[in-house]
Amino acid sequence: MTEPHPLLKVKDVTKSYFEDGKEFKILDLIRFELAEQDFVCVVGPSGSGKSTLLRILVGLEKPTSGEVLFEGQPIRADNPQVAMVFQSFALFPWLTVTQNVELGLEAQNVPLPARQARARKFIDAVGLTGFENAFPRELSGGMKQRVGIARALAIEPLLLCMDEPFSSLDPLTAQNLRDEILQLWSDPQLPPKAVLMVTHSIEEAVYLADRVIVLSSRPGRMVAELVIDLPRPRNRKEPEFYGWVDEIYSLIV
Amino acid sequence: MSNSGDDVGPPKRVTDFHSISKASVGQILGLVEAVDEAGGTADVATISSEVDMDIDRLGPILAAAEFLGLLEVEDGDVRMTDLSRKLLSASVRERKSIVRGIIDDLPVFRRVTEMARVAGRPLDRREIVDALAASVGSHQAEEVFKALVYWGRYVELVRYDSESELLSLRTPSK
Amino acid sequence: MRGRRRALRFVAGILVFAGIVAAIASPQAALKALQLPLFALFSTSRMVAAYLIGLVFAIAYGHTAATNRRAALIMLPILDVLQSIPILAFFPAALLFFVVTFQGSAIGIEFAVVFLIFTSMAWNMAFGVYESLTTIPQDLEAAGSSFGLTGWLRFRLLEFPAAIPKLVYNSILSWTNGWFFLVASEVFQVGSSKFARPGLGAFIADAGRNGDVASIAVGLGVLAAVVLALDFFVWRPLSVWSERFRMDTASGRELAKVPRYEPFRWMPRFPAVRRTIIARAHPATQAYHRASVRLDRAYASHPNVVRDVRVVDLGLFVIVLLLVVTTGLIGLGQLFLRPLPPEAVGLPWAALLSFSRLLLSYGIALGWTIPVAVVLGESERVSRYLTPALEIFASLPATALLPVILGFSLAVVGSTGGAAQLAAILIGLFSMQWYLLFNLVAGVRSIPQDLREAARSFGLRGRPYWRRLLLPAMTPSLLTGSITAWGAGWNALIVSEYIEYAQRPYTVTGLGSLINQAVLVTGDTEVLLLTILTMIVVVLAMNKLLWRPLLKRAAIRYRLEV
Repeated sequence: MTEPHPLLKVKDVTKSYFEDGKEFKILDLIRFELAEQDFVCVVGPSGSGKSTLLRILVGLEKPTSGEVLFEGQPIRADNPQVAMVFQSFALFPWLTVTQNVELGLEAQNVPLPARQARARKFIDAVGLTGFENAFPRELSGGMKQRVGIARALAIEPLLLCMDEPFSSLDPLTAQNLRDEILQLWSDPQLPPKAVLMVTHSIEEAVYLADRVIVLSSRPGRMVAELVIDLPRPRNRKEPEFYGWVDEIYSLIV
Repeated sequence: MSNSGDDVGPPKRVTDFHSISKASVGQILGLVEAVDEAGGTADVATISSEVDMDIDRLGPILAAAEFLGLLEVEDGDVRMTDLSRKLLSASVRERKSIVRGIIDDLPVFRRVTEMARVAGRPLDRREIVDALAASVGSHQAEEVFKALVYWGRYVELVRYDSESELLSLRTPSK
Repeated sequence: MRGRRRALRFVAGILVFAGIVAAIASPQAALKALQLPLFALFSTSRMVAAYLIGLVFAIAYGHTAATNRRAALIMLPILDVLQSIPILAFFPAALLFFVVTFQGSAIGIEFAVVFLIFTSMAWNMAFGVYESLTTIPQDLEAAGSSFGLTGWLRFRLLEFPAAIPKLVYNSILSWTNGWFFLVASEVFQVGSSKFARPGLGAFIADAGRNGDVASIAVGLGVLAAVVLALDFFVWRPLSVWSERFRMDTASGRELAKVPRYEPFRWMPRFPAVRRTIIARAHPATQAYHRASVRLDRAYASHPNVVRDVRVVDLGLFVIVLLLVVTTGLIGLGQLFLRPLPPEAVGLPWAALLSFSRLLLSYGIALGWTIPVAVVLGESERVSRYLTPALEIFASLPATALLPVILGFSLAVVGSTGGAAQLAAILIGLFSMQWYLLFNLVAGVRSIPQDLREAARSFGLRGRPYWRRLLLPAMTPSLLTGSITAWGAGWNALIVSEYIEYAQRPYTVTGLGSLINQAVLVTGDTEVLLLTILTMIVVVLAMNKLLWRPLLKRAAIRYRLEV
């Protein structure tokens, strides 16, 4: 077996804010790697700077020190190989589902027919066919996030980054969407090659991830990096599942 | 296929259609998954605390799932059905076609699609709401219409444009 | 749509009514009125031209200020000042500039008119764009960046749509301002030369100058019809349409990255200086200060009394500052501008008179708008019948009403001087009252139903109901309305204190008439400049020392959490 192709290298990332000459450290020496086939969750309590970390990893913010390399190059926010899914969905309220999904393709100047075909494919993949010409305000929360996911997949990224993608949804919708994300992930025909997700829910992390990175709070430091080797589909009722959840809880508290 | 059938369905069915307007596809599927994880059967209170939703919020979803034939509720116990087992093991795409079979059989849905077929043109929102008001009362007509558009779009039998407020029929992809 | 058809019938009704009045009153006027559609077209074109330029400016300016923080440091205060000073005072200078540049040709005057209207429209729209762009939800912005939206695409898909709600809202305000300025600017006199461009404003002004009542009525009717028609067929549909560009506030983190720009925050605050000035300025104020300190102590356990004292304190301070600043300015002028023109001595007095008249207008406006707003806001039925009528009146800019108001004043008051005073106050009233009324109605409507029900269930009615619910709930909108109203009032000074009617001028002492005298009669640019400066200082001082602190307190205390 060959080594999996490394995608993302996070090298000693530190982030501080300065106010009145005082330094407030948010993230301290975060260091890990992400390879193809990885589904990694970063989990931490509030104040662990996990959302800031994600914004740094996708290039929306600069670290105070350290660096983030994507395929050996410093990361840039508009990197077409990295796509992002947001907690608040971040759909453009004045664009239809199709137009929202086409957003990244339009930015890449993909010609119209190809763009439409690609949008159609991913709208179908997330089960939104039928809602192509609906505006976000006509959709339920779960469907809005499906649009967010389709929009991210449509640029066919190598790496999919998700920032608390299920935390604005009700518990049932969230669980349903988690399963569908896993369904999409298990389909080798579909992008991405790796997923990096930030969450505050330990159960969610153990349910989804192959690897969990645990952060402490204020500042966010890496407490542990755990490989979750439970077979899929995972059942949240099983003792092994709860073993992992308990272990992470004890690391954070 | 039975004929338009609006007189065949008892009035209760109309209210039932109204009941699925209070739940989304994702919520119903999520509930079915929760029951499945609890071993295929559980009492409502357990499910309610399991999914962290009180009965006020869970109620309409439960009612919708029951109406669609996905769950059975009896004496405070929730049980999965053959249909829901089939649904859970299906892909996103297959799930749609299963739900389509159920929705397409609903009298109210049937009536509206029939209306559009007979008219041979897209229907205006007003026309449909007025027609619905005749059977469900103007009070519920708007909500039933919304549910109709939502489920109709989901199962890909209905195309609706909120700009022009026109509803037309479509054939599901694949 | 039914609403539209009714609106159309409504507008047509006004036109027909105006026509009938004209035909009965004087056949000649009716003949002249035939030109009116053409005039209306000219005037509207000027508005559209000015609006389009304003729109482009607003987007460019707002966008630059929102995306370039260093530029914003300078751009926002400039906008702030431009928005609060009475632009109309600069018109003679602008007019001269354009006339000279275009060597007296008609095009030059057209440019001047459009420019003036532009200045009344652009600033608040630019603020609107700035505010919208700085309050785009962080996630939406991040989505734009991470999906590679840059340049034109980013503007087209993200920034412009995000700015639409505020842009449309501000456009409606701008358009109202624009009418006010259009009517004031179509006819203008500098020294002995008169500049006029054919249009509705010029028509009404001419009719006023000749005392031709029928023409005035027809002109006003057409103006009202045009304003209302644009409102019904352009602005209302646009504002309904703009709703879809509003952000969905239900979802997630909607934090603004840059704090909302607070007008006049860039000016230093000096409460200590204020106290010192009051304590030192003059024996009389010294005595007052001592008395107020004593009062403070005596009534320490009665915060209400102390608060009232503070209000008087603040008012007194404004007046003192007014005097001090103007005398200071005159002193400066004496230093730098050679011997000071004799008229300058009268500046503080003129400023005080102008201010007092506006205060009176404001008082009258408050007196009737507050109860009417409560009735309109509380009763759906009254509102349905009364609002259209009020909207017709509100559609007429105060500048267009000059001849009517003066005619009315002459009829009521015998003496010429008295009539001029009354007219000046009434014009102030007409330019202020609508801003107050419509803001107040919105304020009353924003009271949540459960608050009303709570009040009712505790048996609050009459005075306690007003004191405990209505008035506090109206305070924020009262303040916003007041600021806009005063802005309009200062502008109205320029036209209200010097009116030509039936071939003779009616003037009262004040800053506005000083400006007009300087422009029309003496051509004294020094006096003109000093007067404008005085006016700006007074207006800025009022904004900074009165409205800002009040607004800030109201925002904390009276906000209705929904």
